[in-house]
Amino acid sequence: MKPLDGRKIVCCVGSGGVGKTTTAAALALSAAMEGKRALVLTIDPARRLANSLGLKALGNAETRIDAAHFADAKLTARGEMWAMMLNLKRSWDELVRRNARTAEQAQAILDNKLYQTLSTAMAGSLEYIAMEKVLELYSSGRFDVVVLDTPPTSNALDFLHAPDRVLDVLDNNAMRIVLGPMLKAGKLGLRLLAAPSGLVLRTLARFTGSDFLRDLAAFMMAFEGMYEGFKERAANVKALLSSPQTGFVLVTSPNPLTTQEALFFHRALERDGIRTAAVVVNRVQRDPRRHGGPDNLAALEEALQLAQIKDENRLAERLCETLTEQAILADLDRREIERLRDMLRGVPLFTVPRLRKDVHDLAGLWQIGEYLGGD
Amino acid sequence: MPVPLDRRLVVVTGKGGTGKSSISAALALAAARRGKKVLVCEVVAKERVADLFGRPPSGTEIRQLLPNLYSVHVRPREAMREYALMILKYQTLYRLAFENAAARYFLAAAPSLAEIVMLGKVFWHAARETERGRLRWDMVVLDAPATGHGLTFLSVPEVFLRLVSEGPLARDMRMMQALLADPERCSICIVTLPEEMPANEAIELDRALRQRQFPAGPLFLNAVFESRFSPQEVASVTRGGPLLTAAGEAADNHESRAALCIHYEGVLRDTVPRHLVKVPFLFERSFGAHAIEKVSRVIEGAL
Repeated sequence: MKPLDGRKIVCCVGSGGVGKTTTAAALALSAAMEGKRALVLTIDPARRLANSLGLKALGNAETRIDAAHFADAKLTARGEMWAMMLNLKRSWDELVRRNARTAEQAQAILDNKLYQTLSTAMAGSLEYIAMEKVLELYSSGRFDVVVLDTPPTSNALDFLHAPDRVLDVLDNNAMRIVLGPMLKAGKLGLRLLAAPSGLVLRTLARFTGSDFLRDLAAFMMAFEGMYEGFKERAANVKALLSSPQTGFVLVTSPNPLTTQEALFFHRALERDGIRTAAVVVNRVQRDPRRHGGPDNLAALEEALQLAQIKDENRLAERLCETLTEQAILADLDRREIERLRDMLRGVPLFTVPRLRKDVHDLAGLWQIGEYLGGD
Repeated sequence: MPVPLDRRLVVVTGKGGTGKSSISAALALAAARRGKKVLVCEVVAKERVADLFGRPPSGTEIRQLLPNLYSVHVRPREAMREYALMILKYQTLYRLAFENAAARYFLAAAPSLAEIVMLGKVFWHAARETERGRLRWDMVVLDAPATGHGLTFLSVPEVFLRLVSEGPLARDMRMMQALLADPERCSICIVTLPEEMPANEAIELDRALRQRQFPAGPLFLNAVFESRFSPQEVASVTRGGPLLTAAGEAADNHESRAALCIHYEGVLRDTVPRHLVKVPFLFERSFGAHAIEKVSRVIEGAL
């Protein structure tokens, strides 16, 4: 049983700092080792992933990890491994250019103040463009597997409802009616009316000022005629999210705060009729007690004596304290993993122990890949 | 009184999972112990501070957790409603303007309106006065959203004012911007962990905050492991035979984590020009009031 389990598109989701990027790269590496053409698409601008893949930096284009780098890690990939970093702003701009009828229309949108805010700051815009890119890459037929490392701040709902939300913003008849007079003036080539009219419009304007409403009207006019294309794409993105070829892998640490988030995501997926493909729990404390041996002060003092190690500066006491602390951590982790297993019955769960060092090369990624069933 | 315990608004930022809520709670407790009346505002999806003190969630109503210490959960929908009503005065007008399909669109399109009303609510608390004209709260602690969102959150007034220059929201945002920029009244702290990604994010966050000239509060390095064994000790115990395998592994684990702590402490000291406060890792089976008390003592001692 492996997290990918034959899936073509894998989205690694979870809170920030739980090793999502590393897990995504390890999954892509496992697939490449098995003979697949695998791509990891990351949003993490940290250089570390690029470095660990032997690249100077990751760009907005797909880059193949060369064989020499695999050889350095004493690995032979039967398939191909590719990586790229998603540039959100540029991807949105490309999307607009592709859908615009004319270059002028595209430019009018790209120059609009509101577009700039919408494409970078609106909840769900990051998630939408990421899935849009996955769809594009996957449809190109150049990859067997695409692994997406999602934005750290994503929450499940932003992800699942991003297509709807984007469409909702781009096409809203109610707003069209409210903004009606302003839009009409614009179409007739007049300057957009100075003052918004109508009770609702005036009330909204009291909140935001009328400049904002003018920008909004200008944005909607610029977008005229592009909606259908967007709607079709968004429908495809939506279908992709719930396709059986797509799998969501929940990445978490044994910290209750992050498992809570993973469970929240799982339930949100469930509500949308999407099954969680797997859970990966990173950074699990290994229990030193699994080796047996003395764990109380008197027994440790005796063991030191037997091994002819001097008990200087309260060494036995320090060892005892350290053993106790790590036993506490291991117990806490175990308890949390059991709880997770219980709540996610039927979902394959993988644990990766806390490693002594940060992963910084292909060999390190492969080590993680092995815990994910990639051996 | 040491910075930031003497400020009116203390913002606690940092990457998710670094312990922002614990540090917020500990800072609030330290100030409350010194006789200040403190309100903790949580703007994240799920409130935690009340739970850390073993209290039921406060929700959107201010609740007392301890003497002098209060908390409130600021949620976008309620904040929006309260805020809109404060300005619009009439319930019907609110419903007409906000609870319709057009408003749904508007709320999605207006730049970070949710953040704006939440920040507006926090500002309202920070500026609130009693009948006798004194400030209602000596200190407001804002437990801010995680890094990316946190920076967006603090930049909300600026972004908003770029798009909107008139109206009551713009006026409040201008006052909030002034408060956030005032080193006499405000302090913006960063919480991080001795790990690669949190440390890198703290460095970037610090740079971004200083670029925007936000008053720089302390950098809290949380969950620190202090070195406890010499390399010779680890080596001899590890080689000490089967009876000492567990102890050797534990000592080695401890030292590898301590080494990471020393490394990232060095990196942070070199790159982040802020007062660095180390908070030790606490081995607690359950993290509650007792642990917060400990953290608050450590912080008080270090400030």
